[in-house]
Amino acid sequence: MSAAESATSIQKNQVDLLDFIDWSGLECLNQSSSHSLSNALKQGYREDEGLNLESDADEQLLIYIPFTQVIKLHSIVVTGSEEEGPKTVKLFANREHMGFSNVSDFPPSDTAVLSPDNLKGKPVVLKYVKFQNVRSLTIFIEDNQSSSEITKVQKIALYGSTVETTDMKGLKKIEDH
Amino acid sequence: MVLEATMICVDNSEWMRNGDYSPSRFQVQADAVSLVCGAKTQSNPENTVGILTMAGKGVRVLATPTSDLGKILSCMHGLEMGGEMNLAAGILIAQLALKHRQNKNQQQRIIVFAGSPIKHEKKALEIIGKKLKKNSVALDIVDFGEEEDGKPEKLEALLASVNNNDASHIVHVPPSQNALSDVLISTPVFTGDGEGGSGFAATTAAAAAGGVSDFDFGVDPNIDPELALALRVSMEEERARQEAAAKKAAEEASSQEKGEDAQPQSDSQNATSTATEKVSDPMDEDDLLKEALALSMNIPGSDSSAGDAQMSEASNDDQELALALQMSMQDGSKESSAPSDVSKVLGDQSFMSSIISSLPGVDPNDPNVKNLLASLPGQSESQQKKDEDEKPKDEK
Repeated sequence: MSAAESATSIQKNQVDLLDFIDWSGLECLNQSSSHSLSNALKQGYREDEGLNLESDADEQLLIYIPFTQVIKLHSIVVTGSEEEGPKTVKLFANREHMGFSNVSDFPPSDTAVLSPDNLKGKPVVLKYVKFQNVRSLTIFIEDNQSSSEITKVQKIALYGSTVETTDMKGLKKIEDH
Repeated sequence: MVLEATMICVDNSEWMRNGDYSPSRFQVQADAVSLVCGAKTQSNPENTVGILTMAGKGVRVLATPTSDLGKILSCMHGLEMGGEMNLAAGILIAQLALKHRQNKNQQQRIIVFAGSPIKHEKKALEIIGKKLKKNSVALDIVDFGEEEDGKPEKLEALLASVNNNDASHIVHVPPSQNALSDVLISTPVFTGDGEGGSGFAATTAAAAAGGVSDFDFGVDPNIDPELALALRVSMEEERARQEAAAKKAAEEASSQEKGEDAQPQSDSQNATSTATEKVSDPMDEDDLLKEALALSMNIPGSDSSAGDAQMSEASNDDQELALALQMSMQDGSKESSAPSDVSKVLGDQSFMSSIISSLPGVDPNDPNVKNLLASLPGQSESQQKKDEDEKPKDEK
Protein backbone atom coordinates (compact mmCIF):
# COMPACT_ATOMS: atom_id res chain seq x y z
CA MET A 1 0.00 0.00 0.00
CA SER A 2 1.49 3.32 -1.07
CA ALA A 3 1.70 6.25 1.23
CA ALA A 4 -0.64 8.18 -1.03
CA GLU A 5 -3.31 5.55 -0.78
CA SER A 6 -3.15 5.35 2.96
CA ALA A 7 -3.32 9.10 3.16
CA THR A 8 -6.61 9.20 1.30
CA SER A 9 -9.68 8.14 3.20
CA ILE A 10 -10.46 4.71 1.95
CA GLN A 11 -8.81 2.39 -0.51
CA LYS A 12 -10.96 1.66 -3.53
CA ASN A 13 -12.04 -1.88 -2.87
CA GLN A 14 -12.52 -1.45 0.86
CA VAL A 15 -16.06 -1.09 2.10
CA ASP A 16 -17.51 0.01 5.35
CA LEU A 17 -18.08 -3.20 7.24
CA LEU A 18 -21.12 -1.83 9.03
CA ASP A 19 -23.40 -4.16 7.10
CA PHE A 20 -21.55 -7.23 8.21
CA ILE A 21 -21.68 -6.62 11.92
CA ASP A 22 -23.74 -9.17 13.85
CA TRP A 23 -25.66 -6.73 16.01
CA SER A 24 -27.11 -9.38 18.30
CA GLY A 25 -23.69 -10.48 19.49
CA LEU A 26 -22.23 -7.07 20.28
CA GLU A 27 -20.75 -6.73 23.71
CA CYS A 28 -18.99 -3.92 25.50
CA LEU A 29 -17.50 -4.14 28.96
CA ASN A 30 -17.30 -1.08 31.19
CA GLN A 31 -19.56 1.06 29.08
CA SER A 32 -21.78 3.62 30.71
CA SER A 33 -25.40 2.59 30.40
CA SER A 34 -26.52 5.92 29.02
CA HIS A 35 -23.68 6.14 26.53
CA SER A 36 -23.50 2.76 24.94
CA LEU A 37 -21.69 1.08 22.08
CA SER A 38 -24.41 1.75 19.54
CA ASN A 39 -23.71 5.46 19.83
CA ALA A 40 -20.32 4.81 18.30
CA LEU A 41 -21.17 2.13 15.79
CA LYS A 42 -24.61 2.69 14.37
CA GLN A 43 -25.25 4.59 11.23
CA GLY A 44 -26.41 8.07 12.12
CA TYR A 45 -25.55 7.78 15.78
CA ARG A 46 -21.88 7.70 15.08
CA GLU A 47 -22.05 10.87 13.01
CA ASP A 48 -23.76 12.70 15.82
CA GLU A 49 -21.18 14.50 17.86
CA GLY A 50 -23.36 14.63 20.90
CA LEU A 51 -23.69 10.86 21.10
CA ASN A 52 -20.61 9.12 22.42
CA LEU A 53 -19.60 5.80 23.81
CA GLU A 54 -18.37 6.47 27.33
CA SER A 55 -16.58 4.31 29.81
CA ASP A 56 -17.94 3.79 33.28
CA ALA A 57 -15.87 2.64 36.23
CA ASP A 58 -12.51 3.56 34.74
CA GLU A 59 -11.05 4.63 31.44
CA GLN A 60 -10.71 1.23 29.76
CA LEU A 61 -13.18 -0.25 27.35
CA LEU A 62 -13.45 -3.71 25.91
CA ILE A 63 -15.57 -4.00 22.77
CA TYR A 64 -16.47 -7.29 21.12
CA ILE A 65 -17.80 -7.18 17.55
CA PRO A 66 -18.80 -10.41 15.82
CA PHE A 67 -19.44 -10.45 12.08
CA THR A 68 -22.04 -12.24 10.06
CA GLN A 69 -19.43 -13.52 7.70
CA VAL A 70 -15.69 -13.74 7.41
CA ILE A 71 -14.03 -10.47 6.51
CA LYS A 72 -10.65 -9.01 5.94
CA LEU A 73 -9.98 -5.90 7.95
CA HIS A 74 -7.97 -3.17 6.31
CA SER A 75 -8.27 -0.07 8.43
CA ILE A 76 -10.27 1.47 11.21
CA VAL A 77 -11.40 4.99 12.02
CA VAL A 78 -11.76 5.97 15.66
CA THR A 79 -12.83 9.51 16.39
CA GLY A 80 -13.24 11.28 19.68
CA SER A 81 -12.46 14.47 21.51
CA GLU A 82 -8.88 15.63 21.88
CA GLU A 83 -8.64 15.04 25.59
CA GLU A 84 -10.94 12.21 26.30
CA GLY A 85 -10.59 10.31 23.08
CA PRO A 86 -8.83 6.97 23.14
CA LYS A 87 -5.07 6.70 22.83
CA THR A 88 -3.85 3.14 22.90
CA VAL A 89 -6.08 0.75 21.05
CA LYS A 90 -5.33 -2.97 20.85
CA LEU A 91 -7.10 -5.21 18.39
CA PHE A 92 -7.62 -8.94 18.77
CA ALA A 93 -8.97 -11.00 15.91
CA ASN A 94 -11.11 -14.07 16.53
CA ARG A 95 -10.89 -14.06 20.32
CA GLU A 96 -14.22 -14.60 22.00
CA HIS A 97 -15.36 -13.61 25.49
CA MET A 98 -12.30 -11.70 26.51
CA GLY A 99 -12.20 -9.97 29.85
CA PHE A 100 -10.04 -7.21 31.22
CA SER A 101 -8.04 -9.81 33.09
CA ASN A 102 -6.87 -11.70 30.03
CA VAL A 103 -6.10 -8.84 27.67
CA SER A 104 -2.48 -9.23 28.56
CA ASP A 105 -2.50 -13.00 28.23
CA PHE A 106 -1.78 -13.00 24.54
CA PRO A 107 -0.40 -10.44 22.15
CA PRO A 108 -2.85 -8.34 20.16
CA SER A 109 -3.14 -8.76 16.42
CA ASP A 110 -2.33 -5.10 16.13
CA THR A 111 -1.85 -2.06 18.32
CA ALA A 112 -2.62 1.51 17.33
CA VAL A 113 -1.69 4.65 19.18
CA LEU A 114 -4.08 7.33 18.05
CA SER A 115 -2.86 10.76 17.19
CA PRO A 116 -5.06 13.85 17.18
CA ASP A 117 -5.32 13.44 13.39
CA ASN A 118 -6.74 10.00 13.84
CA LEU A 119 -9.21 11.36 16.32
CA LYS A 120 -10.43 13.73 13.67
CA GLY A 121 -11.14 10.92 11.25
CA LYS A 122 -7.93 9.82 9.65
CA PRO A 123 -8.05 6.06 9.30
CA VAL A 124 -5.49 3.85 10.93
CA VAL A 125 -4.18 1.30 8.50
CA LEU A 126 -3.69 -2.06 10.13
CA LYS A 127 -1.42 -4.98 9.50
CA TYR A 128 -3.59 -6.42 6.79
CA VAL A 129 -1.90 -9.82 6.90
CA LYS A 130 -3.04 -10.34 10.47
CA PHE A 131 -6.67 -9.69 9.64
CA GLN A 132 -7.25 -11.97 6.68
CA ASN A 133 -9.81 -14.23 8.20
CA VAL A 134 -11.72 -12.34 10.80
CA ARG A 135 -14.94 -13.70 12.31
CA SER A 136 -14.93 -11.40 15.32
CA LEU A 137 -12.96 -8.41 16.47
CA THR A 138 -12.17 -7.36 20.02
CA ILE A 139 -11.13 -3.76 20.53
CA PHE A 140 -9.40 -2.99 23.81
CA ILE A 141 -9.11 0.73 24.56
CA GLU A 142 -6.41 0.90 27.15
CA ASP A 143 -6.22 4.58 27.96
CA ASN A 144 -7.17 7.98 26.66
CA GLN A 145 -5.36 11.08 25.52
CA SER A 146 -5.35 12.96 28.77
CA SER A 147 -5.50 10.01 31.17
CA SER A 148 -8.81 11.20 32.50
CA GLU A 149 -11.31 9.04 34.32
CA ILE A 150 -13.63 8.60 31.40
CA THR A 151 -12.86 7.74 27.81
CA LYS A 152 -15.24 9.07 25.19
CA VAL A 153 -15.43 7.61 21.71
CA GLN A 154 -17.54 9.32 19.14
CA LYS A 155 -17.24 6.94 16.20
CA ILE A 156 -15.77 3.58 15.34
CA ALA A 157 -15.79 2.61 11.68
CA LEU A 158 -14.26 -0.51 10.18
CA TYR A 159 -13.11 -0.78 6.61
CA GLY A 160 -12.24 -3.93 4.78
CA SER A 161 -13.55 -6.46 2.36
CA THR A 162 -15.37 -9.71 2.48
CA VAL A 163 -14.01 -13.12 1.78
CA GLU A 164 -16.04 -14.90 -0.86
CA THR A 165 -18.28 -16.88 1.44
CA THR A 166 -21.80 -18.05 0.80
CA ASP A 167 -24.43 -15.61 1.90
CA MET A 168 -26.88 -17.93 3.60
CA LYS A 169 -29.67 -15.42 3.40
CA GLY A 170 -29.32 -15.33 -0.37
CA LEU A 171 -29.86 -19.06 -0.67
CA LYS A 172 -33.38 -19.60 -1.86
CA LYS A 173 -35.18 -22.84 -2.34
CA ILE A 174 -35.64 -23.68 -6.02
CA GLU A 175 -39.31 -24.15 -6.77
CA ASP A 176 -40.22 -27.54 -8.19
CA HIS A 177 -41.88 -27.12 -11.56
CA MET B 1 -35.83 -15.67 32.92
CA VAL B 2 -32.35 -14.24 32.66
CA LEU B 3 -29.62 -16.74 31.96
CA GLU B 4 -27.37 -16.37 34.95
CA ALA B 5 -24.44 -17.91 36.74
CA THR B 6 -24.55 -17.17 40.46
CA MET B 7 -21.96 -17.57 43.17
CA ILE B 8 -23.26 -17.57 46.73
CA CYS B 9 -20.84 -16.41 49.42
CA VAL B 10 -21.78 -18.00 52.73
CA ASP B 11 -20.69 -16.60 56.07
CA ASN B 12 -19.65 -19.47 58.35
CA SER B 13 -17.83 -17.44 60.95
CA GLU B 14 -18.15 -17.75 64.74
CA TRP B 15 -20.79 -15.03 64.73
CA MET B 16 -23.18 -17.45 63.07
CA ARG B 17 -23.65 -19.45 66.25
CA ASN B 18 -25.84 -16.71 67.68
CA GLY B 19 -29.50 -17.52 68.20
CA ASP B 20 -31.09 -14.15 67.63
CA TYR B 21 -32.56 -15.57 64.45
CA SER B 22 -34.23 -18.83 65.37
CA PRO B 23 -32.93 -21.50 65.47
CA SER B 24 -29.52 -19.99 64.76
CA ARG B 25 -28.08 -17.51 62.31
CA PHE B 26 -26.37 -20.28 60.43
CA GLN B 27 -29.57 -22.28 60.06
CA VAL B 28 -31.57 -19.40 58.68
CA GLN B 29 -28.72 -18.64 56.32
CA ALA B 30 -28.72 -22.24 55.11
CA ASP B 31 -32.48 -22.09 54.52
CA ALA B 32 -32.13 -18.87 52.60
CA VAL B 33 -29.33 -20.35 50.50
CA SER B 34 -31.41 -23.36 49.52
CA LEU B 35 -34.33 -21.09 48.69
CA VAL B 36 -32.17 -18.92 46.46
CA CYS B 37 -30.73 -21.94 44.69
CA GLY B 38 -34.19 -23.27 44.04
CA ALA B 39 -35.43 -19.95 42.74
CA LYS B 40 -32.50 -19.51 40.38
CA THR B 41 -32.64 -22.98 38.90
CA GLN B 42 -36.39 -22.81 38.55
CA SER B 43 -36.49 -19.49 36.79
CA ASN B 44 -34.22 -20.79 34.05
CA PRO B 45 -33.11 -24.43 33.80
CA GLU B 46 -29.78 -23.42 32.34
CA ASN B 47 -28.90 -21.25 35.33
CA THR B 48 -25.96 -22.39 37.40
CA VAL B 49 -25.23 -21.77 41.05
CA GLY B 50 -22.03 -22.22 43.02
CA ILE B 51 -21.15 -21.84 46.70
CA LEU B 52 -18.12 -20.74 48.62
CA THR B 53 -17.49 -20.09 52.30
CA MET B 54 -15.79 -16.92 53.42
CA ALA B 55 -14.67 -17.81 56.96
CA GLY B 56 -12.99 -20.82 58.45
CA LYS B 57 -9.36 -21.29 57.54
CA GLY B 58 -9.80 -19.24 54.40
CA VAL B 59 -12.09 -18.76 51.48
CA ARG B 60 -13.04 -22.15 50.14
CA VAL B 61 -15.08 -22.90 47.03
CA LEU B 62 -17.48 -25.70 47.88
CA ALA B 63 -19.10 -25.96 44.47
CA THR B 64 -18.32 -24.28 41.17
CA PRO B 65 -21.34 -23.02 39.23
CA THR B 66 -23.49 -26.03 38.43
CA SER B 67 -27.14 -26.61 37.67
CA ASP B 68 -27.24 -29.69 39.90
CA LEU B 69 -29.34 -28.56 42.85
CA GLY B 70 -28.63 -31.68 44.89
CA LYS B 71 -24.92 -31.11 44.79
CA ILE B 72 -25.31 -27.54 45.98
CA LEU B 73 -27.62 -28.43 48.84
CA SER B 74 -25.39 -31.24 49.99
CA CYS B 75 -22.51 -28.78 50.24
CA MET B 76 -24.42 -26.77 52.81
CA HIS B 77 -24.85 -29.83 54.91
CA GLY B 78 -22.17 -30.41 57.54
CA LEU B 79 -20.52 -27.02 57.32
CA GLU B 80 -18.42 -26.02 60.29
CA MET B 81 -18.51 -22.59 61.84
CA GLY B 82 -15.41 -20.76 62.88
CA GLY B 83 -12.99 -18.01 62.15
CA GLU B 84 -13.69 -14.62 60.70
CA MET B 85 -15.34 -13.68 57.46
CA ASN B 86 -13.11 -12.28 54.74
CA LEU B 87 -15.52 -10.36 52.55
CA ALA B 88 -13.07 -8.93 50.03
CA ALA B 89 -11.35 -12.23 49.33
CA GLY B 90 -14.71 -13.98 49.15
CA ILE B 91 -16.03 -11.62 46.53
CA LEU B 92 -12.86 -11.68 44.46
CA ILE B 93 -12.70 -15.45 44.44
CA ALA B 94 -16.39 -15.60 43.56
CA GLN B 95 -15.64 -13.35 40.61
CA LEU B 96 -12.84 -15.64 39.55
CA ALA B 97 -15.09 -18.67 39.78
CA LEU B 98 -17.65 -16.90 37.60
CA LYS B 99 -15.02 -15.97 35.06
CA HIS B 100 -14.38 -19.66 34.47
CA ARG B 101 -18.00 -20.60 34.01
CA GLN B 102 -18.80 -23.10 31.32
CA ASN B 103 -21.38 -21.06 29.49
CA LYS B 104 -19.99 -17.65 28.70
CA ASN B 105 -23.42 -16.37 27.71
CA GLN B 106 -24.59 -16.38 31.32
CA GLN B 107 -24.79 -13.15 33.21
CA GLN B 108 -22.60 -13.06 36.29
CA ARG B 109 -24.02 -12.54 39.75
CA ILE B 110 -22.67 -12.82 43.29
CA ILE B 111 -24.90 -13.12 46.34
CA VAL B 112 -23.20 -12.30 49.65
CA PHE B 113 -24.58 -13.16 53.06
CA ALA B 114 -22.89 -10.69 55.38
CA GLY B 115 -23.64 -11.77 58.94
CA SER B 116 -20.56 -10.72 60.83
CA PRO B 117 -18.66 -7.45 61.22
CA ILE B 118 -16.72 -6.25 58.22
CA LYS B 119 -13.08 -5.54 58.86
CA HIS B 120 -12.40 -3.91 55.51
CA GLU B 121 -12.44 -0.20 54.91
CA LYS B 122 -15.10 1.46 52.82
CA LYS B 123 -12.50 2.51 50.25
CA ALA B 124 -11.32 -1.04 49.73
CA LEU B 125 -14.88 -2.21 49.26
CA GLU B 126 -15.55 0.52 46.73
CA ILE B 127 -12.53 -0.53 44.69
CA ILE B 128 -13.81 -4.08 44.67
CA GLY B 129 -17.23 -2.85 43.63
CA LYS B 130 -15.78 -0.93 40.72
CA LYS B 131 -13.90 -3.98 39.58
CA LEU B 132 -17.10 -5.98 39.62
CA LYS B 133 -18.94 -3.30 37.66
CA LYS B 134 -16.17 -3.13 35.10
CA ASN B 135 -16.52 -6.84 34.48
CA SER B 136 -20.31 -6.57 34.49
CA VAL B 137 -20.87 -8.69 37.57
CA ALA B 138 -24.01 -7.96 39.56
CA LEU B 139 -23.97 -8.17 43.35
CA ASP B 140 -26.74 -8.91 45.86
CA ILE B 141 -25.98 -8.29 49.52
CA VAL B 142 -27.95 -9.74 52.43
CA ASP B 143 -27.11 -7.75 55.53
CA PHE B 144 -28.18 -9.73 58.58
CA GLY B 145 -26.79 -11.03 61.84
CA GLU B 146 -24.30 -8.93 63.73
CA GLU B 147 -25.10 -5.25 63.73
CA GLU B 148 -22.04 -3.12 63.84
CA ASP B 149 -21.54 0.61 63.51
CA GLY B 150 -20.87 1.48 59.96
CA LYS B 151 -21.68 -1.93 58.56
CA PRO B 152 -24.80 -0.83 56.68
CA GLU B 153 -22.94 2.20 55.34
CA LYS B 154 -20.04 0.10 54.12
CA LEU B 155 -22.37 -2.30 52.40
CA GLU B 156 -24.38 0.51 50.83
CA ALA B 157 -21.17 2.04 49.53
CA LEU B 158 -20.18 -1.31 48.07
CA LEU B 159 -23.56 -1.61 46.42
CA ALA B 160 -23.38 1.88 44.99
CA SER B 161 -20.03 1.20 43.38
CA VAL B 162 -21.22 -2.06 41.82
CA ASN B 163 -24.68 -1.08 40.84
CA ASN B 164 -25.27 -0.82 37.14
CA ASN B 165 -28.86 -0.12 36.09
CA ASP B 166 -30.33 -1.53 39.31
CA ALA B 167 -28.99 -5.00 38.64
CA SER B 168 -27.60 -5.18 42.17
CA HIS B 169 -29.58 -5.08 45.39
CA ILE B 170 -29.10 -4.96 49.14
CA VAL B 171 -31.44 -6.26 51.81
CA HIS B 172 -31.08 -5.39 55.49
CA VAL B 173 -32.72 -8.03 57.69
CA PRO B 174 -32.94 -7.22 61.42
CA PRO B 175 -33.55 -10.05 63.90
CA SER B 176 -37.25 -10.82 64.12
CA GLN B 177 -39.81 -13.58 64.33
CA ASN B 178 -39.92 -13.99 60.57
CA ALA B 179 -37.40 -16.33 59.07
CA LEU B 180 -34.74 -14.88 56.83
CA SER B 181 -36.12 -16.80 53.87
CA ASP B 182 -39.57 -15.31 54.27
CA VAL B 183 -38.16 -11.81 54.25
CA LEU B 184 -36.02 -12.55 51.24
CA ILE B 185 -38.85 -13.97 49.20
CA SER B 186 -40.43 -10.60 48.68
CA THR B 187 -37.20 -8.87 47.80
CA PRO B 188 -35.63 -8.44 44.38
CA VAL B 189 -33.03 -11.02 45.42
CA PHE B 190 -35.60 -13.61 44.59
CA THR B 191 -37.85 -11.83 42.18
CA GLY B 192 -34.95 -11.18 39.89
CA ASP B 193 -35.89 -7.62 39.04
CA GLY B 194 -39.53 -8.46 38.85
CA GLU B 195 -39.61 -10.99 36.08
CA GLY B 196 -39.48 -14.76 35.89
CA GLY B 197 -38.70 -15.55 39.46
CA SER B 198 -41.83 -13.88 40.69
CA GLY B 199 -43.87 -16.94 39.75
CA PHE B 200 -41.75 -19.01 42.07
CA ALA B 201 -41.86 -16.27 44.64
CA ALA B 202 -45.62 -16.06 44.51
CA THR B 203 -46.11 -19.76 45.07
CA THR B 204 -43.65 -19.98 47.91
CA ALA B 205 -45.08 -16.85 49.49
CA ALA B 206 -48.54 -18.32 49.32
CA ALA B 207 -47.33 -21.50 50.91
CA ALA B 208 -45.18 -19.92 53.60
CA ALA B 209 -46.65 -16.62 54.58
CA GLY B 210 -50.28 -17.24 53.77
CA GLY B 211 -50.53 -15.65 50.36
CA VAL B 212 -49.51 -12.21 49.25
CA SER B 213 -50.81 -12.29 45.73
CA ASP B 214 -53.36 -9.73 44.69
CA PHE B 215 -54.71 -11.78 41.84
CA ASP B 216 -57.78 -13.94 41.75
CA PHE B 217 -56.24 -17.36 41.92
CA GLY B 218 -52.76 -16.60 43.19
CA VAL B 219 -51.42 -16.60 39.66
CA ASP B 220 -50.47 -13.46 37.86
CA PRO B 221 -52.31 -13.37 34.54
CA ASN B 222 -49.45 -11.36 33.13
CA ILE B 223 -46.89 -13.96 33.93
CA ASP B 224 -48.91 -17.06 33.22
CA PRO B 225 -52.06 -16.21 31.30
CA GLU B 226 -52.77 -19.78 30.32
CA LEU B 227 -52.68 -21.02 33.89
CA ALA B 228 -54.85 -18.14 35.08
CA LEU B 229 -57.35 -18.84 32.30
CA ALA B 230 -57.38 -22.56 33.06
CA LEU B 231 -58.02 -21.85 36.72
CA ARG B 232 -60.85 -19.49 35.90
CA VAL B 233 -62.47 -21.96 33.49
CA SER B 234 -62.26 -24.77 36.00
CA MET B 235 -63.83 -22.50 38.60
CA GLU B 236 -66.72 -21.85 36.22
CA GLU B 237 -67.09 -25.53 35.50
CA GLU B 238 -67.11 -26.32 39.20
CA ARG B 239 -69.76 -23.74 39.79
CA ALA B 240 -71.81 -25.10 36.91
CA ARG B 241 -71.42 -28.60 38.30
CA GLN B 242 -72.56 -27.42 41.68
CA GLU B 243 -75.55 -25.72 40.13
CA ALA B 244 -76.44 -28.92 38.34
CA ALA B 245 -76.04 -30.85 41.55
CA ALA B 246 -78.16 -28.31 43.33
CA LYS B 247 -80.78 -28.65 40.66
CA LYS B 248 -80.79 -32.41 41.01
CA ALA B 249 -80.95 -32.15 44.76
CA ALA B 250 -83.80 -29.74 44.49
CA GLU B 251 -85.74 -32.19 42.34
CA GLU B 252 -85.51 -34.85 44.95
CA ALA B 253 -85.86 -32.47 47.86
CA SER B 254 -88.61 -33.55 50.19
CA SER B 255 -89.46 -30.25 51.76
CA GLN B 256 -89.15 -27.94 48.78
CA GLU B 257 -92.26 -26.48 47.24
CA LYS B 258 -90.24 -24.69 44.69
CA GLY B 259 -88.43 -27.80 43.53
CA GLU B 260 -89.59 -27.68 39.94
CA ASP B 261 -88.77 -24.02 39.73
CA ALA B 262 -85.21 -24.73 40.63
CA GLN B 263 -84.66 -26.44 37.29
CA PRO B 264 -85.13 -23.59 34.85
CA GLN B 265 -83.49 -21.22 37.20
CA SER B 266 -80.37 -23.23 37.81
CA ASP B 267 -80.06 -23.66 34.06
CA SER B 268 -80.45 -19.98 33.47
CA GLN B 269 -78.02 -19.28 36.23
CA ASN B 270 -75.61 -21.70 34.58
CA ALA B 271 -76.01 -19.88 31.33
CA THR B 272 -75.56 -16.58 33.06
CA SER B 273 -72.42 -17.63 34.86
CA THR B 274 -70.79 -19.27 31.88
CA ALA B 275 -71.80 -16.55 29.49
CA THR B 276 -70.54 -13.69 31.57
CA GLU B 277 -67.59 -15.48 33.19
CA LYS B 278 -67.79 -13.40 36.28
CA VAL B 279 -65.63 -14.02 39.30
CA SER B 280 -67.49 -15.61 42.19
CA ASP B 281 -67.74 -12.42 44.23
CA PRO B 282 -70.51 -10.65 42.28
CA MET B 283 -72.49 -13.90 42.20
CA ASP B 284 -72.32 -14.22 45.95
CA GLU B 285 -73.64 -10.74 46.40
CA ASP B 286 -76.57 -11.52 44.11
CA ASP B 287 -77.29 -14.67 46.03
CA LEU B 288 -77.17 -12.87 49.33
CA LEU B 289 -79.47 -10.19 48.00
CA LYS B 290 -81.94 -12.75 46.79
CA GLU B 291 -81.78 -14.56 50.07
CA ALA B 292 -82.61 -11.37 51.89
CA LEU B 293 -85.50 -10.69 49.53
CA ALA B 294 -86.78 -14.22 49.98
CA LEU B 295 -86.67 -13.99 53.74
CA SER B 296 -88.42 -10.67 53.71
CA MET B 297 -91.14 -12.05 51.45
CA ASN B 298 -91.70 -14.78 54.01
CA ILE B 299 -91.90 -17.66 51.62
CA PRO B 300 -92.78 -20.84 53.57
CA GLY B 301 -90.62 -23.94 53.59
CA SER B 302 -87.46 -21.98 53.24
CA ASP B 303 -85.32 -24.17 55.50
CA SER B 304 -84.02 -27.50 54.44
CA SER B 305 -83.88 -30.22 57.02
CA ALA B 306 -80.75 -31.77 55.51
CA GLY B 307 -77.37 -30.92 56.92
CA ASP B 308 -75.62 -31.65 53.68
CA ALA B 309 -73.90 -28.57 52.32
CA GLN B 310 -75.24 -29.11 48.84
CA MET B 311 -78.73 -29.49 50.10
CA SER B 312 -78.63 -26.36 52.20
CA GLU B 313 -77.13 -24.49 49.32
CA ALA B 314 -79.92 -25.79 47.16
CA SER B 315 -82.53 -24.71 49.68
CA ASN B 316 -81.11 -21.20 49.82
CA ASP B 317 -80.89 -21.17 46.10
CA ASP B 318 -84.51 -22.15 45.71
CA GLN B 319 -85.84 -19.03 47.35
CA GLU B 320 -83.61 -16.88 45.26
CA LEU B 321 -84.30 -19.00 42.24
CA ALA B 322 -88.01 -18.60 42.67
CA LEU B 323 -87.71 -14.87 42.90
CA ALA B 324 -85.29 -14.76 40.05
CA LEU B 325 -87.66 -16.86 38.01
CA GLN B 326 -90.39 -14.38 38.58
CA MET B 327 -88.13 -11.52 37.72
CA SER B 328 -86.81 -13.22 34.64
CA MET B 329 -90.23 -14.15 33.44
CA GLN B 330 -91.15 -10.52 33.54
CA ASP B 331 -88.21 -9.01 31.74
CA GLY B 332 -87.00 -12.13 29.96
CA SER B 333 -83.41 -10.90 30.00
CA LYS B 334 -81.82 -13.88 31.64
CA GLU B 335 -83.33 -16.56 29.53
CA SER B 336 -81.17 -18.65 27.23
CA SER B 337 -81.83 -21.75 25.21
CA ALA B 338 -81.58 -24.13 28.15
CA PRO B 339 -84.74 -23.10 29.98
CA SER B 340 -86.83 -23.58 26.85
CA ASP B 341 -86.13 -27.28 27.05
CA VAL B 342 -86.95 -27.25 30.70
CA SER B 343 -90.19 -25.40 30.15
CA LYS B 344 -91.19 -28.27 27.90
CA VAL B 345 -90.53 -30.53 30.81
CA LEU B 346 -92.59 -28.24 32.93
CA GLY B 347 -95.34 -28.48 30.38
CA ASP B 348 -95.47 -32.17 30.99
CA GLN B 349 -98.31 -32.25 33.43
CA SER B 350 -97.78 -35.73 34.71
CA PHE B 351 -94.20 -34.90 35.54
CA MET B 352 -95.29 -31.76 37.33
CA SER B 353 -97.94 -33.52 39.29
CA SER B 354 -95.56 -36.29 40.30
CA ILE B 355 -93.12 -33.69 41.49
CA ILE B 356 -95.69 -31.87 43.50
CA SER B 357 -97.08 -35.02 45.01
CA SER B 358 -93.62 -36.13 46.04
CA LEU B 359 -93.17 -33.00 48.11
CA PRO B 360 -94.73 -33.79 51.47
CA GLY B 361 -94.65 -30.26 52.80
CA VAL B 362 -96.25 -28.73 49.76
CA ASP B 363 -99.79 -27.70 49.81
CA PRO B 364 -100.76 -27.30 46.20
CA ASN B 365 -103.67 -25.23 47.20
CA ASP B 366 -101.35 -22.75 48.79
CA PRO B 367 -101.83 -19.42 47.00
CA ASN B 368 -98.08 -18.93 46.54
CA VAL B 369 -97.73 -22.23 44.71
CA LYS B 370 -100.66 -21.41 42.56
CA ASN B 371 -99.28 -18.00 41.69
CA LEU B 372 -95.93 -19.41 40.72
CA LEU B 373 -97.40 -22.16 38.65
CA ALA B 374 -99.62 -19.65 36.95
CA SER B 375 -96.64 -17.51 36.02
CA LEU B 376 -94.92 -20.35 34.20
CA PRO B 377 -95.45 -20.19 30.42
CA GLY B 378 -98.29 -22.32 29.17
CA GLN B 379 -99.02 -23.64 32.57
CA SER B 380 -102.59 -22.53 33.14
CA GLU B 381 -104.17 -25.67 31.76
CA SER B 382 -101.77 -27.98 33.50
CA GLN B 383 -102.36 -26.11 36.73
CA GLN B 384 -106.03 -26.77 36.55
CA LYS B 385 -105.42 -30.40 35.82
CA LYS B 386 -102.96 -30.57 38.65
CA ASP B 387 -105.51 -29.18 41.02
CA GLU B 388 -107.87 -31.85 39.93
CA ASP B 389 -105.18 -34.47 40.40
CA GLU B 390 -104.15 -33.17 43.73
CA LYS B 391 -107.55 -33.11 45.23
CA PRO B 392 -108.05 -36.84 45.17
CA LYS B 393 -104.44 -37.28 46.40
CA ASP B 394 -105.05 -34.93 49.24
CA GLU B 395 -107.76 -37.11 50.41
CA LYS B 396 -105.36 -39.99 50.94
